[in-house]
Amino acid sequence: MTEQTSLSTASSTVPPVLLSLNGIFKTFGGIHALSGVTFDLRAGEVHALVGENGAGKSTLIKVITGAYTPDAGVIEIGGERFAGLDPELARSLGVGAVYQEFNLLPELSVAENILLAKPPLGRFGLIDTAERARQAVQLLERLGAAGQIDPYQLVKNLTVGEQQIVEIAKALALRAHILIMDEPSAVLPSRDLDRLFAVIRTLRAEGHGIIYISHRLNEIFELADRVTVLKDGHTMATAQVAETNTPDLVKLMVGRSLTDLYPPHDAARGDVLLETRGLNVEDTVFDVSLKVHRGEVLGLAGLGGSGRTTVCRALVGLGRIRGGSVTYLDKPAPRSPAAAAHEGIVLIPEDRKAYGLILNQTMRFNLSLPNLDHLQHFGVLYPNEERDAVKQAITDIQIRPAAPEITAENLSGGNQQKIVVGKWLLTHPKLVIFDEPTRGIDVGAKAEIYMRIRELTRQGVGVIMASSELPELIGMSDRILVFHEGRIVGELSREQFSEEAIMQLATATKADGAGGTPSTAAPSA
Amino acid sequence: MTTIGTPVTAPPPPRWATLIRNNASILLIYGLILLVAGTAAIMAPNFRTPTNLVNILRQSIILGLIAIGQSMVIMTGGIDMSMAMVARIVALTVATLFLAGGSDPALIVPLVVVGLIVGAAFGLLNGLLITRTHASPFIITFGIASILRGVNLAISTTPIRGIPEEYLLVYDAKIGIVPINVLVMGLLWYLVWLFSTRARTGRALFAVGGSERVARLSAINVDRTLVIAYVFSAVCAALAGLFILSRTGVGDPGTAEGMDFQSVVAVALGGISMYGGKGSLIGTLGGVLLIAMLSNVFNLLQVDIYYQQLLLGLVVLIAVAAYKSPRSA
Repeated sequence: MTEQTSLSTASSTVPPVLLSLNGIFKTFGGIHALSGVTFDLRAGEVHALVGENGAGKSTLIKVITGAYTPDAGVIEIGGERFAGLDPELARSLGVGAVYQEFNLLPELSVAENILLAKPPLGRFGLIDTAERARQAVQLLERLGAAGQIDPYQLVKNLTVGEQQIVEIAKALALRAHILIMDEPSAVLPSRDLDRLFAVIRTLRAEGHGIIYISHRLNEIFELADRVTVLKDGHTMATAQVAETNTPDLVKLMVGRSLTDLYPPHDAARGDVLLETRGLNVEDTVFDVSLKVHRGEVLGLAGLGGSGRTTVCRALVGLGRIRGGSVTYLDKPAPRSPAAAAHEGIVLIPEDRKAYGLILNQTMRFNLSLPNLDHLQHFGVLYPNEERDAVKQAITDIQIRPAAPEITAENLSGGNQQKIVVGKWLLTHPKLVIFDEPTRGIDVGAKAEIYMRIRELTRQGVGVIMASSELPELIGMSDRILVFHEGRIVGELSREQFSEEAIMQLATATKADGAGGTPSTAAPSA
Repeated sequence: MTTIGTPVTAPPPPRWATLIRNNASILLIYGLILLVAGTAAIMAPNFRTPTNLVNILRQSIILGLIAIGQSMVIMTGGIDMSMAMVARIVALTVATLFLAGGSDPALIVPLVVVGLIVGAAFGLLNGLLITRTHASPFIITFGIASILRGVNLAISTTPIRGIPEEYLLVYDAKIGIVPINVLVMGLLWYLVWLFSTRARTGRALFAVGGSERVARLSAINVDRTLVIAYVFSAVCAALAGLFILSRTGVGDPGTAEGMDFQSVVAVALGGISMYGGKGSLIGTLGGVLLIAMLSNVFNLLQVDIYYQQLLLGLVVLIAVAAYKSPRSA
């Protein structure tokens, strides 16, 4: 395996290779998910894996964790060669993974979760709870989180960032030294990022190998040692991070350079579509007054739990309105998602898996779901009309592969998001509310969704876009409203846009962005 | 096959392979039916007589009616444990009214309508309680069933006579050797299958079963869909009650005992997911036919009633175990 040292001749002692994959092929029903992928991971390195959605990253991960057996190729771990792994074997070889969706049991304590698979046993073969807590604390200490996370706390009471650390500790408890982190930053509020990076650096220093997957290229430059680019199931390149740059990586990932991700503003602002006055929702949003016009993109900024999502949901009739009014086209706004959709207000929700898609159903089923009204006559659906509508949506938003009978859960995140967008655009809405429209999807799919948004505004549709990604808000919005603890704390016009200006308002600070808000939700009194 | 910049387009898998994979549970259940039928044809010569085969179809009607309703409810991710008691209260109410009306054949049509309305009313009650309280459908329908069991005991603990002769034709009327009710039942299976696959509300049932919140956010009226499902299952139960009345010729206080459980078994055998959102009525039909055929065969072979229970249980376990995919990552 040492023939690969050509990549890093600088250091005299080359750290051992923990894992190497050679010529891995995997086909699903005629589609090559992986064709001849080569990848290796050394002790004490962070090796980033990047590529568009559908490039094969998830499949590759599943080959390493043993969920999939490759059709061809060799997996080498710790000097042993395998044609394929199974989950049990992969775990015993030291492979651990932290996915975006955590595999934690919310009703159990931190210590119970961390040592779930192999709890320490005392006399009579019963679990030694004190020892379990001690071991949990030890693992958390290694991650520098022993002071913050109480081993007896129930996991459901932890913040997302803390839960992620518990996940990592859980992998360490199984003696994992090949750690796969699948978009760990996507689920984190930005203030938890530094802690995650510190944890990853600690693990690297301990000699673990870390496979780090992220769509945020800047993180890769901050954190990773090497980067491998996948595209259409092929390894495009493996490079030292220090010797590459963002444009090169993007070019490798998408096969073309993205000169400008954000299409220019080209729509004229029309009259007011929707207006709220002094809106109070649940006990989390207070006194929100806003206006959306035809043909504009209104950005909603704010930290997690600042009320953005609650406002988005309230506009389609979800959540209890405790005060104030919403008017739409000079009439009181509809009060249920069905009525709202009927009048042309649609919400493209955050978390497509939980709110956007029926995962075990086909692309066709999902695309036609909100359009059943147009596809029926006297309650009966006509397959031909449905097929035509679905075909049109697939071409309009460029879902690939264009296979309407494919099950939604088998599609990549980008394609899933396109289905959620597509199913609503088919209804010909007048006001589209996007909540985190591009979370966890690749640059190519992002660019396409931005183009769709511009197209909408050209047609005179009003757009509300709530997002935690500041570049996207700045690139797409005509105006940005900033939320803090359930209230609008500022409005910025295009000439005032800057990440600093938004963050200052969002954290309600002038200078220091730290130490401000302790928890994600609960507004302080 | 990959040129940079264009997406990979690979040929789709062969149609038959997809068909088999997507319909594995249905193929399995009908395979089992053929297996049982083949074995029975060899072991019991009177099994394959046309009269007996038609008999099996007629014997499958009661379970079929309950299972059709149960399928629609389970499709939404719920369950209706009150179907047997709804069938019973309809049978007892209609029998009582026949008796009170002096067994007048002119009462048949109005009383059938009354029976269906009584059934629909309890379905509406189930549906409204479930959508208003958001409590588990199992608990709600079980509670209603328990109340109805008491009411039924109050109506009568002995068979109620007085069903007009003409009403018995519902069970007996035949064209050649084929009972008319078998033909009507076949039509009903077809219509409800059409409804589940081609009607807007049928689609909504699947959507609600797949994910209630996604359905709600996709402009589906979830509450209305659920209420429709429970009204539908209760109307099916009412039809079963009316049919049983014509078979026994009396209002039997033991009407439809154990049918809730059997219908769930038939649905599960047919491969409809107990979590909702997945499955087909064709599978349920298979489950119903298999159960009806097994009990027919057991009777022909004079299998002890205790062994019948045991063997039926084994079939259920084997079938359900076979559905479990060998590996789910």
